[in-house]
Amino acid sequence: MTEAGKRLLDPVVLARLAGLRLRVRATAEGVLSGLHRSPHHGQSVEFSEHKEYAPGDELRHVDWKAFGKFDKYYVKRFEQETNLRAWLVVDASGSMGYRGAEDRLTKLGYACTLAGTLAHLLVRQQDAAGLAVFSGKVTNALTPRAEPSQVNAILETLEALQAGGETRVEAAVQFLAERARRRSAVMVFSDLLDRDERVLRLVADLRRRRHEVTVFHLLDPSELDFPFDDPTLFLSMEDARSVEARGRDVRKGYLELLGKWLEDVRRICGESDVDYVRVRTDQPLDEVLVPFLSRRERSAA
Amino acid sequence: MNLSFLHPALLWGLAAAAIPLAIHLFYRRRPRSVPFPAIDFVMQARHETERRLKLRRVLLFTARTALLAAAALAIARPRLETPEASAAVGPAGPAATAIVLDTSASMAYRLGGRTLLDRAREDALEVLSSLGPDEPATVVVCGGEAVPAADPAGFDRVALRRTVADAEQGFARSDLTTCVTAAVRALGDPAALATARRRLVVATDLTASAWRLDAPAPVVPTPAGPQRPEVSLLDAARGEPLANRWVSGLVAEPEPAAGSHGYRIGVAVNGEGMEAERDVPLALRVGTGRDERTAVRSLLELPASGTTRKALAHDFAAGGPAVVTVALPPDALPEDDALSLVVDVPRDVKVLVVNGAPSAVRHRDAAYFLEAALTGPASPVRPTVVDAEGFAKARLADFDVVMLLDLRAPGPKAAELSAFVENGGGLFVAMGDDVDPDRWDAEAKGLLPAPLHLVKTAAERGTPGAEAKAARLAEIDWDHPALRVFTGQAREGLESVRAWRYMLLKPGAKDGGARVLARYDDGATALVEAGRGRGRVMLYASTLDPEWSDWTIRTSFLPAMQRIAAWLAGALDERRSAPGVVGAPRPLQLPAGLSLAAVVGPDGRERREGAARGDTASQGAPVVTPDRPGLWQVRVRDLATGGERIDPALAFAVWPDPRESDTRRLEPSELTAWFGGEALARVASDGRPSGSREVPLWSWLLLLAIAAFLAEGLLLG
Repeated sequence: MTEAGKRLLDPVVLARLAGLRLRVRATAEGVLSGLHRSPHHGQSVEFSEHKEYAPGDELRHVDWKAFGKFDKYYVKRFEQETNLRAWLVVDASGSMGYRGAEDRLTKLGYACTLAGTLAHLLVRQQDAAGLAVFSGKVTNALTPRAEPSQVNAILETLEALQAGGETRVEAAVQFLAERARRRSAVMVFSDLLDRDERVLRLVADLRRRRHEVTVFHLLDPSELDFPFDDPTLFLSMEDARSVEARGRDVRKGYLELLGKWLEDVRRICGESDVDYVRVRTDQPLDEVLVPFLSRRERSAA
Repeated sequence: MNLSFLHPALLWGLAAAAIPLAIHLFYRRRPRSVPFPAIDFVMQARHETERRLKLRRVLLFTARTALLAAAALAIARPRLETPEASAAVGPAGPAATAIVLDTSASMAYRLGGRTLLDRAREDALEVLSSLGPDEPATVVVCGGEAVPAADPAGFDRVALRRTVADAEQGFARSDLTTCVTAAVRALGDPAALATARRRLVVATDLTASAWRLDAPAPVVPTPAGPQRPEVSLLDAARGEPLANRWVSGLVAEPEPAAGSHGYRIGVAVNGEGMEAERDVPLALRVGTGRDERTAVRSLLELPASGTTRKALAHDFAAGGPAVVTVALPPDALPEDDALSLVVDVPRDVKVLVVNGAPSAVRHRDAAYFLEAALTGPASPVRPTVVDAEGFAKARLADFDVVMLLDLRAPGPKAAELSAFVENGGGLFVAMGDDVDPDRWDAEAKGLLPAPLHLVKTAAERGTPGAEAKAARLAEIDWDHPALRVFTGQAREGLESVRAWRYMLLKPGAKDGGARVLARYDDGATALVEAGRGRGRVMLYASTLDPEWSDWTIRTSFLPAMQRIAAWLAGALDERRSAPGVVGAPRPLQLPAGLSLAAVVGPDGRERREGAARGDTASQGAPVVTPDRPGLWQVRVRDLATGGERIDPALAFAVWPDPRESDTRRLEPSELTAWFGGEALARVASDGRPSGSREVPLWSWLLLLAIAAFLAEGLLLG
């Protein structure tokens, strides 16, 4: 990847880019140039049967191994229905509107960039990408489709998102249970700060429904490091709660609780066979996407 | 049980305990509002740590406040007083009380920002306040050597309080033995004897020099016989040692190596109970008032106790009376840290040397030897040599002394010479081959101490046995100011002078006032002096060249000639003004035609009363009794004109009494034993005459402060 491409993936640089489309494009190009040669050439298809070659068939579908065995030309046929269906589930609750520093993306901004980029990449390889946006309930939904116009629809939806309302993962899970009847890839972009303690069990439910679930757990560096010293009035971003505390007094306890929670999240995801990706919003996006995509390619192979 | 403080004024320090609270309030800020997603964790963390943090904050605040409060309290020296039976218990009932207040110089010692006299005054006032209505009292203020007046014990408390409050700090030594004896005697009057007990209270600093314990202890004369009083000694120093350092001596001696007006100033510094110090600054100041300037700065290495001496050299700018002051940095008793001295620096003496018979051979020339002697190192004499012709043209009024060597006769200058001497000039005449006795007698009649007669030859120089036959000086007036410098072996330099020829003198008039300073061993006059008007004339019967006498090659020649010139000019008349001691009467020798108008003390205040009172010694000289150390000036009145002026020549220095500088203290047991033992006398280090036991609390408070400090460190850690 060129230096310029790397810089484009820096969240600080991305945050300066005005629109989501621009960000998605920059990210997608950066990620594509970072990925190694793709064996699928952009297609996601499943082999169905052989048929004898007849003029007019595409030469690239000729099975040369079969020709070696049988000395006849056979052409591979593929089932179109085996295309990947992916649901991009984006948390747009109030807490996702947080950013610890002005030059960073909000968690929602980061999530939208991730989701948009993945949508772009999926549709580009003719997989179907859908979108579900939730906070207290599912507010926006786009059924997965593999058409290029789907990307535009998804990006438009994401671009219009405003963080607000409480986090209720249950609403998204119920929505997917109803709408995603076929086996799908479900990618959840959330900070998981749901007051419902069952949040992870609900996510695990999706896995039990045979979906391939990936949780992108977005956290701001200020949430992870708690850089507060002075007396501070902490205001809830989803309701009217507030608490006054001296940062240096509660830092130790906070970090202990946070660490334990993160450990629990990772453990439960592991136990539930849910792919878990923890994301710091100051992390370059390729560091998140390239390993994820590479991992998926390996599992597909 | 009472809580009291040794330094109650320092309780203001308690305000420091409010510093932690002030800092807390000052730095208390409104919390910054921050929207934060993971607020649940913050709430939970706060909930879990809140109690612990609150407790820690309270403990920290308490530790800091306790640290400052305990330190501030400890500095104020709190003590817990528990009443206890007095050691000096007499029969119950009202007591007649005599209070002796020590105002001696050592009571100016400063402890904790206050003088010992301030404390003693407070103690005395407290005693007066504690007296019952039926208890008579008297107060004796003890300052100076004079026996103080002790009024009979009475009940006028207002007057007694005023006496105590108005008691001024003295600068003289006080004899407390005399004072307590006078006070105790006052307890023998009928009003005091009517009470059940007699009590003596002495508010003092317990310095040993104030007491004469070899004298009998004071007793109250009662009809039943002498009775010892109960004694309370209120220690104004509160048991603390009184370390002191003082300038104990100052002398000034001429030091030719330092310059023509050079002096060697010897300084002695004493210390008692001080810590040894290096590089203590010592300043030598010259002059008085606004003209005073620091001439020499030096450093001293001072031992803890004992005497250190230091010599400083200074060349005065001009002759005449000069004031030098040597000062140490002020200590707790600053009054004795500087001494002044009046030095009479010899004035320049202008001498006209008239060589009546100049010789081309230098060693035969009388003026050669005389000029060499007068211009010796550090000599104040400035000679001008002329011959007889030059003498005729010279203006005598430009000179202090005229020295005529081998001059045939004064000639037309005789009248001017007589007038010159009458007006205070000095004349020295030496003989020689050219001198014409008859002309001298005729032209200078009445000027010389004695008329010239004829030349006598004791031996012809160079002939065998001439050395033995030569006349020697005898009957030398060693007390004469010009010859006083010859002491011990130095006298040999004058006694060994030989003369082969000399002028015999006719007997002078009886009222001529001639004083023979030396004779030859045959009885002939060798050196004679007489006063003429305000001037002096001295005649040497031989020559100042080797022709008639060998004086010029004797060691005595140089100092004798310089002294004679100075004497004839009147420079030796200026008396060295020896410093006096505070409280010691001092007679003032006033020049004729002047009377004492006033004396001006070091404080700048004129004292006309004493001068006007006409305190005089038996000789009629006015006497002043300086009451404080420093430089005293004398204002004189010209009897002819009635005008007044300060006469610098009469200024004198007054030194503090060295016994008051020695602040070594008596052991309380020595004093109580002198007063009759602990049954009758006690020393109160707290300034309270009543018996009470004190428990000092400052050490406990200091421990508390240290504990608070450690606790704060642990809490912060």
